[in-house]
Amino acid sequence: MSISLKHLSKHYGSTQAVEDVSAEIVHGSLTAVLGPSGSGKSTLLKLISGLERPDAGTVVIDGEDVTNVDPRHRDIGFCFQHYAPFRHMNVSKNVGFGLKVRKRSPKEIDARVKELLALVKLEHKAKDYPAQLSGGERQRMALARALAIEPRVLLLDEPFGALDAVVRAELRHWLKELHQQIHVTTVLVTHDQQEAMEVADQLIVMRTGHIVQSGNPLALYERPATDFVHEFLGPSTVFAGEVARPHDLELVSVYQGTITGRITSIVSLGFEAQVTVELSDGTSTWVQLSRNELAAMGLRVALLVGVRRRDDVNF
Amino acid sequence: MNRNRWAVRAVVLVYLGILIGLPVVFLVIKALGHGLPAFWGEVTRPDALLALKLSVEVAAIAVPVNTIVGVGAAILIARHNFFGKRLLDTIFDVPIAISPIIIGVALVLAYSRIGWFGAPLARWGIMVLFSPLGVVMATMAVSLPYVLRSVVPVLLEVGIDEEQAARTLGAGPLRIFWHVTLPAIRWAVMYGVTLTLARTLGEFGAVLVVSGNISGVTQTLPIYIYDSWDQRFDVLGTYSGALVLAMMSMAVLAVLALLRRRERRLRVDLA
Repeated sequence: MSISLKHLSKHYGSTQAVEDVSAEIVHGSLTAVLGPSGSGKSTLLKLISGLERPDAGTVVIDGEDVTNVDPRHRDIGFCFQHYAPFRHMNVSKNVGFGLKVRKRSPKEIDARVKELLALVKLEHKAKDYPAQLSGGERQRMALARALAIEPRVLLLDEPFGALDAVVRAELRHWLKELHQQIHVTTVLVTHDQQEAMEVADQLIVMRTGHIVQSGNPLALYERPATDFVHEFLGPSTVFAGEVARPHDLELVSVYQGTITGRITSIVSLGFEAQVTVELSDGTSTWVQLSRNELAAMGLRVALLVGVRRRDDVNF
Repeated sequence: MNRNRWAVRAVVLVYLGILIGLPVVFLVIKALGHGLPAFWGEVTRPDALLALKLSVEVAAIAVPVNTIVGVGAAILIARHNFFGKRLLDTIFDVPIAISPIIIGVALVLAYSRIGWFGAPLARWGIMVLFSPLGVVMATMAVSLPYVLRSVVPVLLEVGIDEEQAARTLGAGPLRIFWHVTLPAIRWAVMYGVTLTLARTLGEFGAVLVVSGNISGVTQTLPIYIYDSWDQRFDVLGTYSGALVLAMMSMAVLAVLALLRRRERRLRVDLA
């Protein structure tokens, strides 16, 4: 189901959390709302869910204006940052809660819960309590609970924020697969650009309550609209007075470079190497090279080199 | 280091012994000193039994009412913003902050036949002062804060995420309260209930002022004990009554200790 946001504004006291935000979220997409803390991304999610009411603007889900509809009647699945498990209910009861509210028969609830637990790979934990689960398991339980009511849209607030790196990577991958399986329109909020790039097929970048740019992740990465998006979406450096990606720069001989400079440090990070160059224009930049490039060029600290943009990546 | 710790323990034990332990031991000795039959005879005197009955009846009314009011007000204070919230919060502390006798006197002022509320009630034939109704009201007033004060911090600690999650899943306010909020705060509620019960059974000052101390009608157990001591000079009656009240309070304390342990064991960090 599509979501359409029209001129949404929300303030808390004197802070403007979201200001005149409009966006279209396509049916079946997995959209990431990306931004630093305080950018208004979580508030935007709460506005879609109805847990917060906007001061102005409308929220339309699947063609229906739900701006004044209570969250309990919006048919949305919401996963909270800390999962908000019902701590006194076991996993099955948690997942079945929404169905019980909808007065489904115990038999039907039982069958549906089993199905969902299989989907999120928690069958063996059905009788466990949230306190007995790991972070990743709680996250999956929360997802199953939200999916149980067959929501029109799935909203995830910082879904992987509280997990360690390994589990986080696994869950990201899993979420993407799950989304391909069930195709429910999903909006997730994150401050982690890598997570957003990896999982989402649409990005909305927010800053101080505004949408800065939206579109598909690769387009945003390659053609950022502002320096902010540029810096936020990936590694960046300044070259010849402009923001550039370090892997879009290359090191060449002194005569071929746009600007010459002296290498001040070389840091090897496995496959990639970061070479910092002090340029003749008084600025400093860094260039990302592969291990092989580094070895082939025989670079060392204090060497004079030329720096230029790689030609093949000029859009 | 180790010796210091023992020294501190010894000081604390001696202190507790002087203040509480020895007096209680003497109470037991005095109450049972003339043998169990004598003790039993004192406890089963008609006026003693009536006092015990009134104490239990008052608790049976005051505790449930204050529990409902306390939980309701706790949710109001922890979950809602409204004009006068700070004032409400402060009013709930009044019975802890000021002497019960002041509450008693204030009730007399308000509910005497010439008082603000007392006059119209008297016209309807309702007597508050010198009646069991007054005893109940005074007891409810002094034991009002305990449920609220135990529940509010837990509500704040638990947070609103679970309630909001239930809401997005389609649950209405009543279902959220019974199935999400109440289970999360139930030990705090129980803790508050036992504190309220202990306070209710032991209340003396406020009740003394409003009850008029009418034997067999408005005498609760603490008032009966005071009456035996101060009016009837009945030493054995005093000690026997006191021992019964002490045992009831101890039982409440024991339940409280169990609940505390339970609560600590069940408090699991879900963050």
